[in-house]
Amino acid sequence: MRPIDLARTLIAFVVLVLLHFTLRPLLGWRVGPDFLIIALLLVAIRIRPGAAAVLGLFMGVVADSIELHAFGAGALAMCCVGFAASWLKAVFFADDMFLNAFFFFSGKWAFDTIFILAEHRVGGVELLRELLVWSPITAVVTALWGLLTLLILRPILRPSHT
Amino acid sequence: MASVARTYGRRDTILLAACVVLSLIALFLPERMRDPLATSLRRTILAPLVSLQSDAELSRRAWATREERVAARDSIALRAISVDALEAENSRLRNLLTLGARLRWGFVPAEVLSGRGVGEQYTVPLSAGSRSGVREFSPVVAPEGLVGVVKTADPTMSIAIIWSHPDFRVSAMAADGSAFGIVAAHLGDGPERYLLEMRGVPVRGTIAPGTEIVTSGLGGTFPRGIPIGIVMGEAQTSELWARTYLLRPAVLPSAISAVMVLTPARADSGVAGVWQTGQGMNGATRAIVEAGDSLGRAAALRLGAMAADSLARLRPAVDTTDSLGARPGADTLR
Repeated sequence: MRPIDLARTLIAFVVLVLLHFTLRPLLGWRVGPDFLIIALLLVAIRIRPGAAAVLGLFMGVVADSIELHAFGAGALAMCCVGFAASWLKAVFFADDMFLNAFFFFSGKWAFDTIFILAEHRVGGVELLRELLVWSPITAVVTALWGLLTLLILRPILRPSHT
Repeated sequence: MASVARTYGRRDTILLAACVVLSLIALFLPERMRDPLATSLRRTILAPLVSLQSDAELSRRAWATREERVAARDSIALRAISVDALEAENSRLRNLLTLGARLRWGFVPAEVLSGRGVGEQYTVPLSAGSRSGVREFSPVVAPEGLVGVVKTADPTMSIAIIWSHPDFRVSAMAADGSAFGIVAAHLGDGPERYLLEMRGVPVRGTIAPGTEIVTSGLGGTFPRGIPIGIVMGEAQTSELWARTYLLRPAVLPSAISAVMVLTPARADSGVAGVWQTGQGMNGATRAIVEAGDSLGRAAALRLGAMAADSLARLRPAVDTTDSLGARPGADTLR
């Protein structure tokens, strides 16, 4: 990655992290967008899978420090999602809105699934409800906000050709 | 989104495995090791982000509760409006307690029950009746002075007529004992309807504005010394042999809420010293006096200071007059 592209990606990453800690609590929705996942996915597709896994681990540990009951679960989920996103980006060659939305949706749902299973707090019907109802809804919201973010940050995220 | 395809090598696999292992270690880390790590992260990297999140939460809460806050502010404003009324009621109840302490015995506390609230109210139902010791013609008093007299006494409640009743009469005198007369409701129009008039004052008995008028004790219904009102001025009448004075009542009808009914025994034994009559003038009187010229003000203040002594000096003279039958003799109810 060229230095200018790295700087742009970094700016987008910082903006999304800030949005996660400002806009998300401001909205106060039961199924709010997960800007950390969007940030991770946006960066992961621009770096190698191993680096994406390390980034996911770092972001997960930092985010988990607020929620002590799930310390490590977020790190595990994020490193897996980061790695998978970076690896699977080879499949998603097309710069298509629907595919990108599906990319965000899958990333968020996968994250929630790994997180909930690793957290090992809920089970039975509650687990199914979380995995099959709330997580998909949250993933849809995250995908929509991810698309909106892409549209807004497109000038920044466009790779330079010079 | 950037479309950068890349290969997947062994180094990536090793990094992934390392990350997964580290995550699992973090997941099963003992609490004593996990907490310091999480705390250090919260205090360093996450501190500014958590601060931002806290501000965002506060902003959202402020926005979400804006209507509640407006409602709360309105409620407080509404309560603030009623504070004055509560303070007035509190003050009045304190005065009533003080009156009870001064009376010591022979009284029945009663609440004025709200009537229909239609038209002018000259009679008021009281919450105490004959079982409590209330009898017909028992005087009804308030901390400020005379309210009225009981007309009928039922076992559990009674009906009293207040001073504004057209049939109300009470034998009265100036607090300094300089003049006697009969006080009745002033049957004028408009606001004057809620004034009293003191009739039958001999022509030689001039009463200065601001003089306190109290019950004279003549007639047996009302004991001597209960404040009735303050002289506002002389009323013009066609009578040549007597003067009539307008009085501002000591007890306003709107302030009648809790009262004391004096028992017959208490009325017979008198209420000397219960009301500090003749020892000063209330605020309204001062306002009247201050509105006048300086000469009138000085005279009124002198009058106020001398009133108590005058009352004490003239009491024997009144008794003598009473025995001679020279004064109007009865509190009457037509």
